[in-house]
Amino acid sequence: MTQLECLLPSIVFLPFVAAALALCVGRFTGRWTGILMVLAALTSFGQSLGLAAHVSRARPVAFVHEWIPSLHIALGLRGDPFGLFFALLISGIGALVGAYSLGYMPVMAPRRLGQYYAALLAFMGAMLGVALSDDLVLFFVFWEITSLTSFLLIGFWYEQEEARKGAMTALQVTALGGMIMMAGFIILGIVCGTFSLSQVAQTKDLQLRLAGSPLYVPTLLLILVGALTKSAQWPFHFWLPKAMVAPTPISTYLHAATMVKAGVFLLGRMLPIFGTAPLWTVILVPIGLATFLLAAYQAFTETDIKALLARTTVSALGLMTMFYGFTDGQQDALGFLSHATYKGALFLVAGIIEHATHTRDLRQLGGLRSRMPITFAICVLAALSMAGLPPLLGFHAKEALYEGLLYSPISGGSAVRWIVTGICLIANALLFAVSFRLVVGAFLGQATPQVKHAHEPSPLLWLPAGVLAGLALAMGLLSPLTERLVRGFSSTPGPQLHLSLVPSRTGPLILTLITIILGIVIYRSQVAAERWRQQIPSWPTAEQVWDRIMEAVTSWAVAFSVRWQSGSLRWYLSGTLVFTVGLTSYALWRAGISLTRVTISLAEMQWYGVALCALLSTSAVLVVRSRTRIGAAIALTTNGFLTALLFVVYRSPDILLTQILIETVSTIFILLILYFMPPFKADAFTALTRLTNLTIAAAVGLAMFAFIMLSTSPQFRETHNLALDYLSRSLAEAGGANAVNVIIVDFRAIDTNGEITVLVVVGLLVFGLLRARRNTHEG
Amino acid sequence: MRGDTPILRTVARFAVPITVWVSLVIFMQGHNLPGGGFIAGVMAGAAGAMYLLAFGTAKASRIPWWKVSVTGLLISVLTGTAPFLRGWAYMDHTIWHFQLPVIGEYELPTATFFDLGVYLIVLGTLMTIFVELAQEGR
Repeated sequence: MTQLECLLPSIVFLPFVAAALALCVGRFTGRWTGILMVLAALTSFGQSLGLAAHVSRARPVAFVHEWIPSLHIALGLRGDPFGLFFALLISGIGALVGAYSLGYMPVMAPRRLGQYYAALLAFMGAMLGVALSDDLVLFFVFWEITSLTSFLLIGFWYEQEEARKGAMTALQVTALGGMIMMAGFIILGIVCGTFSLSQVAQTKDLQLRLAGSPLYVPTLLLILVGALTKSAQWPFHFWLPKAMVAPTPISTYLHAATMVKAGVFLLGRMLPIFGTAPLWTVILVPIGLATFLLAAYQAFTETDIKALLARTTVSALGLMTMFYGFTDGQQDALGFLSHATYKGALFLVAGIIEHATHTRDLRQLGGLRSRMPITFAICVLAALSMAGLPPLLGFHAKEALYEGLLYSPISGGSAVRWIVTGICLIANALLFAVSFRLVVGAFLGQATPQVKHAHEPSPLLWLPAGVLAGLALAMGLLSPLTERLVRGFSSTPGPQLHLSLVPSRTGPLILTLITIILGIVIYRSQVAAERWRQQIPSWPTAEQVWDRIMEAVTSWAVAFSVRWQSGSLRWYLSGTLVFTVGLTSYALWRAGISLTRVTISLAEMQWYGVALCALLSTSAVLVVRSRTRIGAAIALTTNGFLTALLFVVYRSPDILLTQILIETVSTIFILLILYFMPPFKADAFTALTRLTNLTIAAAVGLAMFAFIMLSTSPQFRETHNLALDYLSRSLAEAGGANAVNVIIVDFRAIDTNGEITVLVVVGLLVFGLLRARRNTHEG
Repeated sequence: MRGDTPILRTVARFAVPITVWVSLVIFMQGHNLPGGGFIAGVMAGAAGAMYLLAFGTAKASRIPWWKVSVTGLLISVLTGTAPFLRGWAYMDHTIWHFQLPVIGEYELPTATFFDLGVYLIVLGTLMTIFVELAQEGR
């Protein structure tokens, strides 16, 4: 078994290695980088296939590597049939999309093509990670990588504003959902004491502990938000059509075959854990059903081919959500497979059409049949599968749907059963009409001026689409084989799942016939539907609401930044000082320390100490009273060097040296900057500003005085002496007699690490800002 | 800033190398005597400022100072991560013992490399800002 285990990380991480490679060699290989994508995908596919042959639900393969043991987080991968099935889908379609991209991507800078394939490969690796992760934290990491890479891929044509907007919306919705989901994962992990998905799913005790926890419902809700945003379910459905600005291979891969299914896949993973919760059904069934119907209707009225396909994808995902809502995991493999094959093929066909005619608008298309016969055949096959007609795979999926609706036990009684069945009928009929509209609109009828120069594309483009459509046909015809396949791969065992071209029961057959008749009626009443649509009043769509929220967030952030990051040094300084004083005073007060415990005896004071203090005070007053900037600078520097003298009195050469050097360098800085400063307007302050400044200054002075007096008073020097501790450990543990330096570079090295990083960043910022300013002035 | 003061230039010709030398000494003795990467870096930066005042920015601006500070950060962070290889924590320093031919036994704490990074960062950042600000004035 050990060799099999090692296949798991290989499947997931090989694409990431290939992604790094694509970035490196992309500028030399250009468009041929796609071959790397195909090879990597085929490798992962082969490995997944090899694993799938050896595992079963009872005997999955697991790979666990320690990651953060103190938090029970592990690098845990797990190959069970459902996960491997998803991995096969991801890598298989990945190979087809890689090949398609070879023919599809236009001639452009080789470097950008390298970036394209690198993002695509990283996406594939992350998707495979989602499919095979057992650890919830790892799952989340891969989940977010898919969001990030999809952001890059949707926004690939970043010169277009639409692409940037679509990518932003997709990222905002899915990443926000992902973060909310992460909160749910964390609660689940804390309550159960483990982040291992399979352990929670298989241990009754853990599930009972989770169900008994007061956080059960919040956990469920948080995780569901993640799944529903990723799978573009209502009310988050709007990001998917907007994401259609991506290159078509991306739309095919991310928005039809894989990424949007991740949300539904998560539901499948959560089904054994949360399936018994009443809330699970109450939330998922209505949302799934509403999305199924709403998106099917929107698809019917859409004219852009890709947006139309995106809407049907949302619709199909709604159906899958609904099934999980009914805690029915038998059909998921069948649903995934049938949707991925026909929708993948249709998206690729849409890409071919756009490639040949430079339009995706159904109103400008028509009569492509004679010009592109092969594409036409592929499109017809895929559309038939979407319409749910025999002998294609979509037919079986629809039959299984009706059979499940009619004969499975459904919570909520027969009223629910009939309402759900009725809505499903209408939605399926709509999808039937959409399929016909697509084929007729693009390929039949009169040839429009747009299609005059269209011709059959290269095999690189139609072959991948052909493979998918052919699979839909072959698996539809070989129904016994397909039945075994989807039964073995579904998330829950499916003994009730029967696929055959000749229906064994009359119920589903009747529903299918009604669907077809209804579909034809809807298709014929297209014009009426359009008129009806214009009459219904438009209420704010989910998209508008989302945009409004995003605008509000942005304007609030701007207002906040403008208020707090005003650019006024005095404001920053006041803020920092007030905060420091407040924190110090609070800490002293909390510890019950007050100045009454400090005894000050002036008897020990030497004459030179008194003289020094007088000089220091004088120079401090001069800094404030000075009428010119240069005067204030000189007074300040004097004050600094006098402070250095103070360290002579206290015999601390280290700090003395530091003080002198810092003072020197600060003076140089002040003198360098002085030249650029505006004239000093000391008289411009109002009385109120002066009073505020005085209060802050006095508070800082008092707080620092109290702090120093306390920390140097004899009683604290004995009980809280950090210095002695460091001094005693310095030479023994760090091999240095200079405790100050040992603290900096050894004992508190991580603090120093942070400080020097800040220093470097500040230097780079000054460099960047001044250089940029100079360049704009000169150029 | 133009270097047109003969007195300063004459003084700087001696003072700059001496200051840099002192800064190196302070850096090297830092682990046992007053000194260390930070103040040594500041001192070298002060020497750099003196150079700029005396001779102008023409030659000094040819050195990419920000790269010096970034190199320093790399050295410091790599020193911190090296203990990972032995399964230790981040910034877990140790002491190397050498038997050198003439000097005899010599102790080198690995923290010195970290300190070297600090030195370079302070020097690089100060010089970046000095040079950029000085060029601004022209």
